[in-house]
Amino acid sequence: MKKRILKWGLILLVSGIIIGAAIIYFMFNQPHRDIQAATVDYKLEASALVNEYLTNATSANDKYLEAEGESKIIIVSGTIASISEDLNKQKVVLLKSKNAKAGVSCTFTSETNATTKNLKVGDKVSIKGVIRSGAGYDEDLELYEDVILEKCNSIKN
Amino acid sequence: MKKLLFTIAISGILAITTAFTSPTVSKLVSKAGHINFFSHTAIEDISADNFKVVSTLNTATGEVVYSVPMQSFEFEKALMQKHYNSKKFLDTKTYPKAKFKGQITNLDAVNFEVDGTYNVTIAGEMNLHGVTKVITETATITVLGNKITVETKMNLTLADYKVAFKGGKPSTNIAKTIEVTSKSEYTKEG
Repeated sequence: MKKRILKWGLILLVSGIIIGAAIIYFMFNQPHRDIQAATVDYKLEASALVNEYLTNATSANDKYLEAEGESKIIIVSGTIASISEDLNKQKVVLLKSKNAKAGVSCTFTSETNATTKNLKVGDKVSIKGVIRSGAGYDEDLELYEDVILEKCNSIKN
Repeated sequence: MKKLLFTIAISGILAITTAFTSPTVSKLVSKAGHINFFSHTAIEDISADNFKVVSTLNTATGEVVYSVPMQSFEFEKALMQKHYNSKKFLDTKTYPKAKFKGQITNLDAVNFEVDGTYNVTIAGEMNLHGVTKVITETATITVLGNKITVETKMNLTLADYKVAFKGGKPSTNIAKTIEVTSKSEYTKEG
């Protein structure tokens, strides 16, 4: 009798440890969010997003940024002002209308860079990505900073 | 007397020309920057990269400004990235940007027109996590053709910026002082 309790106790203890370790392991190694597969939180014109920030950056940050960095996933539409590459060799597409103070800078990924090949300056496109920071005038830089979107890909309209 | 007047007139013209031309011509903008931070402890090494740094370099006055979107730091592990962004650490929702504004104190040592590598000292204010601190760091400026690269390496003590963690895992796994390296590329005009 005593042996049986001991046996079952031991089995429970061991399986408890295994399950616990597995949970910790998966928590620790949880994958990054797949931005392109995730549901879209907002869909709007690039100029509208910029204007929200230029009107009230605090409320825009409150609306679009999340505390743990998993900020809103947005589809922005606008006209391509430039296509460049950053130091990480990712393509950067700037959506900005001619007379706008700031635009939306969209950084692609190694998986999506190829889709920018078909894009050119002046094209009107829709791009999906995650917002990292907003637009605004910086008096030290003496220039307007763009809204930054990353993990981007162009979306068929 | 004539000579003196002439000298005054010439220096006056020079001063006015410099005043009107230099602010627009010599302030270079870089949207291609890279900042890495690295934390080493006996338990683990943590590294994060940010390629969305905007900065300016004024070759006439030696002023440098860096603006860093804090949520653009990418970690290998998603969980670490969440912790970093959270209220307990950098609180990036409340403080979405970090900024450094400084001055090259030995600008005479740099000739932006001649290819070469120059060692400089930059003194200024770092604003991180809502805390502003005066710091002095060394940097390397490389001039190659029409490209100017500014590289810095500094150590930041997290407690200085009220990024504190008392008990628990983070206090053993994250170094008290982290190494921050940055690289920004500028293109000279004309």
